[in-house]
Amino acid sequence: MTRPTVSAAGLTLSYRGTRAVDEVTLRLTEGVTGLLGPNGAGKTTLLRILATATVPDNGAFTVLGHDPSTVTGRQDARRVLGYLPQNPGFHPDFTAFEFVDYVAILKELTDRRTRHAEARRVLDAVGLADVRGKRIRKLSGGMKQRVALAAALVGDPGFLVLDEPTVGLDPEQRMRFRELIAEAGEGRTVLLSTHQTEDVAMLCHRVVVMDKGRVRFDGTPAELTAVADGRVWRSTERQPGARAGWRTGTGEFRNVGDPPEGARLVEPTLEDGYLLALGGDPVTEVAV
Amino acid sequence: MSWHTDDADLREYAAGALAPPRLWSVETHLAACADCRTALGSHVPPAATDLGWARLDAALDAPRPGPVESLLIRFGVADHTARLLAATPLLRGSWLGAVVLTLALAVVVALNASPLMLLATAPLLPLAGVAVSFGPGLDPMYETAVVAPMHTFRLLMVRTVAVLATTTALSALASLALPSLGLAALGWLLPALALTSTGVALTARLGPVLAPALVGGAWAALVALSRLLASGTPLPFTAEGQGGAAAVAVVATVLLVAARDRFDSGALPGPSFRSSRTLRSAARRLS
Repeated sequence: MTRPTVSAAGLTLSYRGTRAVDEVTLRLTEGVTGLLGPNGAGKTTLLRILATATVPDNGAFTVLGHDPSTVTGRQDARRVLGYLPQNPGFHPDFTAFEFVDYVAILKELTDRRTRHAEARRVLDAVGLADVRGKRIRKLSGGMKQRVALAAALVGDPGFLVLDEPTVGLDPEQRMRFRELIAEAGEGRTVLLSTHQTEDVAMLCHRVVVMDKGRVRFDGTPAELTAVADGRVWRSTERQPGARAGWRTGTGEFRNVGDPPEGARLVEPTLEDGYLLALGGDPVTEVAV
Repeated sequence: MSWHTDDADLREYAAGALAPPRLWSVETHLAACADCRTALGSHVPPAATDLGWARLDAALDAPRPGPVESLLIRFGVADHTARLLAATPLLRGSWLGAVVLTLALAVVVALNASPLMLLATAPLLPLAGVAVSFGPGLDPMYETAVVAPMHTFRLLMVRTVAVLATTTALSALASLALPSLGLAALGWLLPALALTSTGVALTARLGPVLAPALVGGAWAALVALSRLLASGTPLPFTAEGQGGAAAVAVVATVLLVAARDRFDSGALPGPSFRSSRTLRSAARRLS
């Protein structure tokens, strides 16, 4: 068993009477873990807890051995984590270099030469060496996301929290971003929140599915796909009993759910497994 | 070019051993002769060339401090602290313009109607300035700052100092428009310190929106009531009122220091995460 780098037990946080995160228990290891779930599933709240941006009502967690429930533990945890929020904010007049430099100051890099060298390193790592002197407001959406990722990478953190970094990016930018996340996942723990099952299929060694604040699935992408084994079929007519069904390019319907007798079963995808994992009670719990 | 620098001179130049006046002659020639610059390259170790390029690159693209930052550095402030101070939202964009406009309007009213307008308005400016410079609602980088290892309380203090210094200087300038009042024209100073320290101290408990709103509302009510209930100088600007403001400032500062860890916990109360995004986009439109 791989030793966990980030452990959480019973994390719970309520907003206005609703449990945004409800008794979440997780153990993350080195590599990229995908966090899938619909809007309002509690993904961002969970990420904000693990990034120490907010405090849970109940439960505990550790980041690379540091306990953020104490003042010193929280500072130590923050020294080893990088966080890319869902909507990273920028001072509008900053250049890419100035923004990363500013974040480096917040990360306690006070020596000017060391700080500037680190800013260059992370901007080079995300492929923005050529635009580091450009104002952020003049950069494209994909470039802004890369600047935010560069800021998260300052100080070479051991735990990287990425909240939907590929949302709003065009396919080429998304592909480029996947390369960066894959590189970032080498030798560190990355928790990647996403709506895109392709992100998980291409990047993650493990996937956690959340819905209504609870963990519905925790396992490998192959295990999530296997949830839909024998539960995806084709038909010529719409199937009212299917949990989801749509007409494909061939004119046939592709259905996910509980198939009728004699149904023409087809190979499931990760998305099929995700869809089934969201419904009802937890489909499976895989110990790490 | 009819002549070229000889090899021995180039070798000495590369080693930094060439002395004037030959140094000046060789340097002038190198600036105009591509062949000699190429020949010079063979006398310089590749590692030294790389290092030189790296230093040149660093000198060219390193962020150049803006006027505020340069001034602070000239006064001996460490460059990283100067950057934190200069990045205070109030010091950027139209926020500063709003402060200047507010003071200008207050001066116009003070000159034409009652000096009370300036005395009552000036203490509200640093209170509002700190509110727009810190917190999940209006600081675009709040989320990034709060998860950084640098203590959030330190960032808050840095920004509070930046806001207080700026608004105090501007309000002092505005006070020069009321020379007939003498020192009484500075009657806003102690209330400004009291309101700001109370607002920031309460932020730890009530959040960065409710706390300054309550403190600002209480101040406006106090000034209005003092004016309505008694003739003469309103209570906050009497000697007793000024003493009271000083006492409030001291007590609030003590409470603020005692509550400093609350700013680092990420548990600051206030607008929800979603509504703070709405506030931030409104702030972006203002900037």
